[in-house]
Amino acid sequence: MKRMLTALIGMFISAADVFAQQDKIDVFPAVPYDRFIVYQNLIIFWAGIIGLIVIIKMKLREIERTQKLGIDKEEKDIPVLD
Amino acid sequence: MNCPRLKSWFLERYNFDEIRDLAKQKLVPIHKYEIWYLTGGITLFLFIIQFITGMVLSFYYIPYFEHAHKSIIEIVTKLNMGWFFRSLHHWGAQIAIVVLFIHVWSCLLLKAYRKPREFLWFSGFILLGISIFFGLSGYLLLWDERAFAAVRVATGGAGNLPVVGEFIKAFLRGGIDVTGDTLTRFYAFHVSVLPLVTILLIGFHILLVQYHGMSVPLSVKKEECKETPFFPNLLYKDLIIWLVVLGIVVTLATLVPPEIGKKADPLAPAPENIKPEWYFLFLFQTLKLFPGEILGMNGETIAILLITAGILFFFLIPFFDRKSQRGEKSTLFTWIGVIYFLYFVIMTVIGFVS
Repeated sequence: MKRMLTALIGMFISAADVFAQQDKIDVFPAVPYDRFIVYQNLIIFWAGIIGLIVIIKMKLREIERTQKLGIDKEEKDIPVLD
Repeated sequence: MNCPRLKSWFLERYNFDEIRDLAKQKLVPIHKYEIWYLTGGITLFLFIIQFITGMVLSFYYIPYFEHAHKSIIEIVTKLNMGWFFRSLHHWGAQIAIVVLFIHVWSCLLLKAYRKPREFLWFSGFILLGISIFFGLSGYLLLWDERAFAAVRVATGGAGNLPVVGEFIKAFLRGGIDVTGDTLTRFYAFHVSVLPLVTILLIGFHILLVQYHGMSVPLSVKKEECKETPFFPNLLYKDLIIWLVVLGIVVTLATLVPPEIGKKADPLAPAPENIKPEWYFLFLFQTLKLFPGEILGMNGETIAILLITAGILFFFLIPFFDRKSQRGEKSTLFTWIGVIYFLYFVIMTVIGFVS
């Protein structure tokens, strides 16, 4: 009887383990404040990306302008001052 | 920052002017299809992201079947920014394969494979195959029930190939069935064999691009085609598109982090409505079209043989397309490319919806 009881208790404990398992694993910060920080950083990140794109685009336009004028090439045999 | 002593230290040893001149000498054709040149650069950039995030993840991942699933949960839930690196690795892989497919199809439709660039096509095509295997091997590392079932189906499908099928299946699985040995094997492929082969092939591919130069489509007349220096013009354009791609990958990684299923149980039946990763869906859907038996032969074997023949034809297209080799327009192969593309898209959509 004692053995049966122990086995039964053991079975219930194992069964409880099944219910205790999480259905879905949190793959993203669960705390609302952490979520807010993540979304805020995403916006800052995009602002940085757009800023960099604007800078590169301006630089590229300037390079193309100098190339069109033909003043981007270095002159050979240019006198050196030192 | 100006460090004249450091600069002169390097200049004494390396002639940077020569390297700069070499970079400036490289010219890239500009025409209405030049946007497709960027897809190669995007793929390279995504590969770099994959290497970096993969290295970070490998510090914490345990490639043993009893701990693999738990180690991923710990990476995602306990490590600082672990969820982000895993998500970045996942989305980087997905977008890399999308861009690779676009790159391959753009090369096919613009006939960039034509003489003398056959080896560029072959190396690129092998890189696509390796990337897909990267995806499959990485998928199993999750060791959840969906990944387990999908790898069982994929490796089982390879086993249907006549003569070499059983050998390939046993080689991939490391045994008769998908077990812990398969996980160890796939981990070895994912972190050592495939990266090494990829680096060598990318090196070879880039070397060939430098050697042959960029391919100009046949429809673009020589007199209409201008040239622009690679450095800095195209490099800046590449940088802009890389930043946009980085933004997209980071946004997807943040807003749509990939789920983790239940731990794989080799003895449990496969979950219902199991589907492989999206880039295998067209194969999966094609296999479904075939009946179990055709003229007394195994229908799946016939399907696998036909798919293999189709892929082999795609791979050897530079040899079949004689017109392009002669520098003539070949409408037939444009249509073949379009049919392949439509088949892939339609079958993937059907597989996704059904």
